[in-house]
Amino acid sequence: MTHKSKLLDRRQFLATSVSAATLLASPAILQAKKSDTIKIGMPTILSGVVSILGESSRAGAQLMIDEFNKNGGLNGRPLELITRDSRAKPEEAVKAVRDLVNGEGCKIIIDAEASSGSFAVQEAIRELGVLCLHTVSEATPLSADPKLRVPTAFRSARQGIHDAIGGGAYAAAISREKGLKRWATCSPDYAYGRTTTAEFMEFAKHFNGDIEVIGQVWPKLFQPDFTEVVTKLLQLKPDAMYSALWGGDLVSFVDQSNLYALFGQMEAFAVNLGDYPVLTAVENLPDGIRSGSRYNKKIPDTPENSDFYDRYVEKNKVLPTNWSWENATAMSFIIEALKDVGSADNPLKLAESIKGRKIKSPFGVDGTLTMRSEDNTLVGYAVGYGITTKKEPFMKDFQTTAWDQIFELETKWKKRKGYL
Amino acid sequence: MELGALLSCLSDQSCLVTQTTSGLIIGMLFFLVASGLTLIFGVLGIVNFAHGAFYMLGAYIGYSAYQVTQNYAIAVISAGLGAALAGALFECLAVRRVYGQNVLLQLLVCYGVVLIADDLVQIIWGSEYLSMGMPETFRLPPLVIAGGFVPPFYIFIICTSSIIAFLLWFLIERTQYGRIIRATATNPEMVSSLGIPTPLIYLSVVVLGLFLAGIAGGLAAPIRALTPGMGFSVLIVSFVITVIGGMGSVSGAFIAAILIGLTRSYGSIGFPLFVDGLIYLLMAAVLIIKPTGLLGEKKADRP
Amino acid sequence: MKITQQEGKRKSLNEALITIAALLILLALPSLTGSQKIMDFVIFAAAYGVLATALNLLIGYTGLISFGHAMFFASGAYSFGALMQSETTSVPIAIVLTLIITATIAAVIGAICVRLSEIYFAFLTLAFQMFFHSVLLSWVEVTGGDNGLLGGIPTPVFFGINLAQAGTKYAFCVSLAILSIYLLRRIVTSHFGYTLRMIRDNERRAIFLGVNVFLTKLICFTLSAVFASIGGIILALFISGAYPDFAFWTTSGEAIFMVMLGGVNNFLGPLVGAILLTGLNDLVVHYTNHFGLFLGSIILLFALVLKKGILDFLDPVLENLLNKKIKTPNDTSEVENSDA
Repeated sequence: MTHKSKLLDRRQFLATSVSAATLLASPAILQAKKSDTIKIGMPTILSGVVSILGESSRAGAQLMIDEFNKNGGLNGRPLELITRDSRAKPEEAVKAVRDLVNGEGCKIIIDAEASSGSFAVQEAIRELGVLCLHTVSEATPLSADPKLRVPTAFRSARQGIHDAIGGGAYAAAISREKGLKRWATCSPDYAYGRTTTAEFMEFAKHFNGDIEVIGQVWPKLFQPDFTEVVTKLLQLKPDAMYSALWGGDLVSFVDQSNLYALFGQMEAFAVNLGDYPVLTAVENLPDGIRSGSRYNKKIPDTPENSDFYDRYVEKNKVLPTNWSWENATAMSFIIEALKDVGSADNPLKLAESIKGRKIKSPFGVDGTLTMRSEDNTLVGYAVGYGITTKKEPFMKDFQTTAWDQIFELETKWKKRKGYL
Repeated sequence: MELGALLSCLSDQSCLVTQTTSGLIIGMLFFLVASGLTLIFGVLGIVNFAHGAFYMLGAYIGYSAYQVTQNYAIAVISAGLGAALAGALFECLAVRRVYGQNVLLQLLVCYGVVLIADDLVQIIWGSEYLSMGMPETFRLPPLVIAGGFVPPFYIFIICTSSIIAFLLWFLIERTQYGRIIRATATNPEMVSSLGIPTPLIYLSVVVLGLFLAGIAGGLAAPIRALTPGMGFSVLIVSFVITVIGGMGSVSGAFIAAILIGLTRSYGSIGFPLFVDGLIYLLMAAVLIIKPTGLLGEKKADRP
Repeated sequence: MKITQQEGKRKSLNEALITIAALLILLALPSLTGSQKIMDFVIFAAAYGVLATALNLLIGYTGLISFGHAMFFASGAYSFGALMQSETTSVPIAIVLTLIITATIAAVIGAICVRLSEIYFAFLTLAFQMFFHSVLLSWVEVTGGDNGLLGGIPTPVFFGINLAQAGTKYAFCVSLAILSIYLLRRIVTSHFGYTLRMIRDNERRAIFLGVNVFLTKLICFTLSAVFASIGGIILALFISGAYPDFAFWTTSGEAIFMVMLGGVNNFLGPLVGAILLTGLNDLVVHYTNHFGLFLGSIILLFALVLKKGILDFLDPVLENLLNKKIKTPNDTSEVENSDA
């Protein structure tokens, strides 16, 4: 039988608040010693189905930090990366960012969250006013929609619309060459899958008026079994198929499609196939699937890029991913800005320094990457399509899309969307 | 909604063959997971939220065994045994202590185990996507039956799962052991007073159920990417199957699994955007009309 | 009932005073500690604390284990967020409308669910929650799909209150939480609250005594949902957005864990559970990236060793200590005694 009294309630209340306060304060006390380091906070996903996202993001950024620190850091002050596992929950990501800024004293945030998390972080940054680089989210509105923009937030990642223009142009050309008219799509049923697919097909039709979409299937994210999706595609009998599936879902989809010899029956365009973890996981990759660029040692085919690949593999014992280069790039921009401004204390100055900045980079098609000043987003990285192969280098006949063309069509598209 | 497509599929032989076999394959793998789930609930009265974790464990163990031996049969059996062994530990160290306790406490124990298992798998096998790869024997083009496509590997899986389902039925309905566990499900005190050690029976049921989950993981490893946390989506569907079939009824789970499989395969033709909604709706409808599920019976109170 | 009217009045006065004291302490906390982190923690714990306390109205007081309560948490966050984003209402009106929307949804779902008992009730609420979750994902025009409500939630000034200021937002969220918990306390100590306990302990007897069990359960379900949605409003205000994982079963699972952790038999149990779990989350995330391993182990230790909520565990211990000093009137136990 439970007996209660008011006094007890008050005691309980006091006891819990005191213990909670001590628990919460203890990390801050422990951390207080290392004050000369420049702390960079990174909320990301380190557990569950997409933990590889967080691990390769961290590894990409850490590689750059280690090299910078080895060379003396910023006038002797080393950089320190602090990661927080958000478990793919946007509200945890927001809490992590607030804690990193208010509790740890980070003035710089690298947001390695998936799309919904990145939109949540964007709002937190709006309030906190620190420097932020989004490194994973490819959702176009994050930087394209002027309503969502924040002066101190940038995107150092691929952007859906760029890949869509590149992919659309490529698909249109292949379609003309091979007479592919009837298209089907198979993409994950969430915002990224839906917008990327719509944008891809929009540009494919723009470049080739003969293309029509005869059917679309939308498997759920992390669905264990794709059999019904595969057989539905077989029933549709399209000439070609586009898929924005990624990661483990794409691995399962390819494995299960192989059983039905799906790839022999239609031309396949899988934008996210060309990422090492996917390519190496699929045991019997069929020849001739067309993929967009993610990260590849040979794209662009320069000594600097191979060098990044080698250093990354040597340090981490796993292959780099698309997320690795995006986070390494974010770190490069931050380091350049820190060198330029001389300290991390003023986020606005750092943001000013990053805005419009052009850096030398192994990942740029012409050896440079630019943080475009009009919408705080990264341009100049490798966009294009190639044909996947079973063995190294996993990608052949890669065709790079010229950025002039991307810029022109992107501007028109933005006008149509009312972003400009 | 594409009812036209559904109708034309139903009148087209090739479409019928392809969709029906794909419905069966989806259903049979889920059945293996759901059968253990429903068995454990039937006998122990425990809703095993950690079941998906053992499916995941089976898949990973199967993957490693295949890496070493390059033998699919050994891989699948190791997957089952590995999961069963882990299941024995799970029963002795955790579940045993919460028998007959509050449902919430049992759920919590399972929740804790899931969190630990997902993290351990990530620590041991890493975050990279892993895939066992199709065993050499099954690297064959799909058979064409009446114009429809049927992959030989799926015929193998359907056959294997059916044999397992039959053996399970035989074990429960036709053997002494089966009689004992059925008796334990209805009246554990009586069984215990007859001198049969019920704790051992409970242990064996948990081990059997998780062995089945491990086998399912091993069987599916060539066609499903392995990631930490992969058990979760399988668990959710298995729950739906268990509830529709009737908590505690293995035959019910069998029927429900095939029903769900066919709903998915034909649903993707007729209602491509509403396949998942359809399944939850089906579950809600069953619960409203017959809360105990298709073949479930009203249970006596657990100890 | 042995509680005299006078005693009853004194008790409720006491509770009101304690509530006001708690509110004052929490409001003073930021200026005392000057820590943004403590404020964040309090708001987060308050949001989940309200959710857990509301859920316990069902679990602890009525004996109905809802596995789908996160959908009302989410309906609070989404309705409030979407109403504010439409820029047609002020904050107080949006809150009232949100509560009405949630109550409507809960009444419909409750009418279907509360007829079932035990595990089937849990599963049916779970099914509705998954359905609700998939609606949030697919109704993109209103909910923003998996991206959530984009672009932040505007909070125009009302009655001179500007929620865009961090301090004001904190005070507002804390007041909302304390008010909700006070109201919940009033509910469980009312006649209605005792009827709930009677249904929990002996449903048949309640029917014999002429209680409309269905209606009582339905009202309880709806009330619990309405308060859960206030938790959602607080979280939406804090992170300036609403996301589909609010309605995912893991959120329900966490809420249940909070209830368990703190103790089902104690009114403040769930709140204590929410504070502890939020604190534990923060600590574990801070020190390690192996979140699951640590939290899982803590959960197992708790579930296998302690086997009941912290307050349920401490209650007898503390009570012994206290009884030596003063005799205090008991509330719930009296009735439970006479009932048993």
